[in-house]
Amino acid sequence: MKVTIEKSKNFAIKNSIYFILGAIFIISSLLNENFLTVLNLRNVLRQISVITILAFGETLLIIGGMIDLSVGAVFAVAGILSIKVFLITDSLVLALLTGILAGVALNIISGFLVSYFKTPPFIATLALMTMARGFVLLITKGQNIYQIGRYIEFGQGSIGFIPTPVIFMFIMLAITWYTLNHTRLGRSIYAIGGNEEAAMASGIQVPWVKFIVYLINGAFVGLAGVLFMSRVNAGLPNAGIGFELDALTVAIIGGTSFSGGIGTAAGTLAGGFIIGLLNNIMNLVGVNSYVQQIIKGAIIALAVIFDMAAKNRRARVQEN
Amino acid sequence: MKRLVILVLAMVLVSTGMLVAQGSSEDSDVFEVAYIARAQGDSFASWLANSIQQEMDKYPDMTVDIMDGQASDEKVNSFIENSITNQYDLIILQPNNGEAQMPYVRQVVAAGIPIILTNPRIPELIGEVSSVDADPYEQGAVNARYALDLVPRNAKVVVLNGPAGNMHSTAREKAWDQEFFAKRPDVTIVGEQIAHWNKDEAMAFMEDWVQANDRIDAVISMNDNMAAGALEVVKDNPKYADLQVYGVDGTAEAALLIEAGKMTSTSFQNAYELARTSVELAHRILTGEVTGLYDTDIDCPLITPENVGQLIDAHKATGAIK
Repeated sequence: MKVTIEKSKNFAIKNSIYFILGAIFIISSLLNENFLTVLNLRNVLRQISVITILAFGETLLIIGGMIDLSVGAVFAVAGILSIKVFLITDSLVLALLTGILAGVALNIISGFLVSYFKTPPFIATLALMTMARGFVLLITKGQNIYQIGRYIEFGQGSIGFIPTPVIFMFIMLAITWYTLNHTRLGRSIYAIGGNEEAAMASGIQVPWVKFIVYLINGAFVGLAGVLFMSRVNAGLPNAGIGFELDALTVAIIGGTSFSGGIGTAAGTLAGGFIIGLLNNIMNLVGVNSYVQQIIKGAIIALAVIFDMAAKNRRARVQEN
Repeated sequence: MKRLVILVLAMVLVSTGMLVAQGSSEDSDVFEVAYIARAQGDSFASWLANSIQQEMDKYPDMTVDIMDGQASDEKVNSFIENSITNQYDLIILQPNNGEAQMPYVRQVVAAGIPIILTNPRIPELIGEVSSVDADPYEQGAVNARYALDLVPRNAKVVVLNGPAGNMHSTAREKAWDQEFFAKRPDVTIVGEQIAHWNKDEAMAFMEDWVQANDRIDAVISMNDNMAAGALEVVKDNPKYADLQVYGVDGTAEAALLIEAGKMTSTSFQNAYELARTSVELAHRILTGEVTGLYDTDIDCPLITPENVGQLIDAHKATGAIK
């Protein structure tokens, strides 16, 4: 009997973030009758897609003890270049590839600086953020691009009843999950984030792994840029300002440890849902903008405190 | 590694040399003007900066250096200080925050350098420096007066605001309150949020409002970007075929939406006109044609389906519309 209770407790602790998500879901459905409709939940999924894809990239980086502050700026460059290629070629495939490759190409800079010049990731990606934002403003002269035609199919289309960005989000979820759980690269990322020196001593090519993680992150950021510009039906060179913080928030709420070595793809998805559902229910019930910020901040803090307490408890249980 | 460092240093030296050479070759008879933009990342500010450059190019006796304040008071203030140090002949400033820039503008005046404030002016400095602006209250008011007869009885409307504390957003909101909501007590606001001038944020709010309300008759937005975001959500929904959408700015996108019959009206905050007037005033001050202070307001005409052709032509001329 005791063993069963202990097992249940451990299960609850291990999955605390999902219980928090469940609680928000149940409370939201009680607060507003429009919440639990298929159309509304489809909206929430669509609204969280872009930021959650960015957060998957951040999750890989943070687990490996890195970070990317250039997300918003690189995302804008990727989206704008993708639109420019589409307007020239009228090819959606080329446009998508351009966005993804632009993200990867720019992340080569971060990856190179971090891996081979030992630049702190915070500084390296801050430098890239500044350069990328300047670049996108330069190539657009700061002006929005309109009349982008069927480019909107990426962000506004759907396959069956499921919006395209949501499908991309789940593909990225699968890639992140598979990378972390079923590849040598994934095990190396956890090892580096847990203890870099030990990882190096055990023969892991730390600089190479870090470099590759930045490239994967770049692909995620590039894709997110394409989906965003397509969703808003415009090329916005000032898009994505502050998105790095949003993506980090989603990853951290999802249980990714800022100190590295801990995090899951499913947790990050749950983090995206928590933020998305909070925004959605507060809009549905008409909460004032200023109050929304206070509530959101408080719930984020509570979710993380609860998660940390659960993890500490788990650590104590394991020690005993 | 050593070679790389040497290469980088060599590139820096060459670039510096080129900059110095360029500076020394400049004609000393040409007036040097500093234009300090609020934030090049803000599409309107960027449009204004580009227009300033285009207007300056028309004057062979003036050159302009454009600086990007990046929406930071600290950066804008530093640019003002640097412009004093570099002894520019005149400064045109687009303040980021009037209160924060006020003491620095007074430093410019104390240094004997003429300065023109544009978009917006700083009310406390009227009578101390020249300014060229559009009245943000009127920008909201022309739309609000137009909407008085158009918005149906007992309408349900949603409101999209700019950033809290932003002078232009606050004045436009005040105009809607006084010119529309005070006169139409039958109208109910079923949603009001801050979307920070952004299209994507406005889209998310509109998606939620569409779920939360059985009907929405009008979207009242403090700029065109947010108005276009709201429209993006319902553009294929026949239930919202008669939705009225009001904005401000007269962007290329709004012009196209009004022409297509999807957006109701906007007011044209004409960056070309702001730039033309500011640069012309700068030239007249520098050549001694005028002395004293000038405060000029450009018009903020209402743009509706009847006159949207003019706005489209203006945007076509600059390539913003193909």
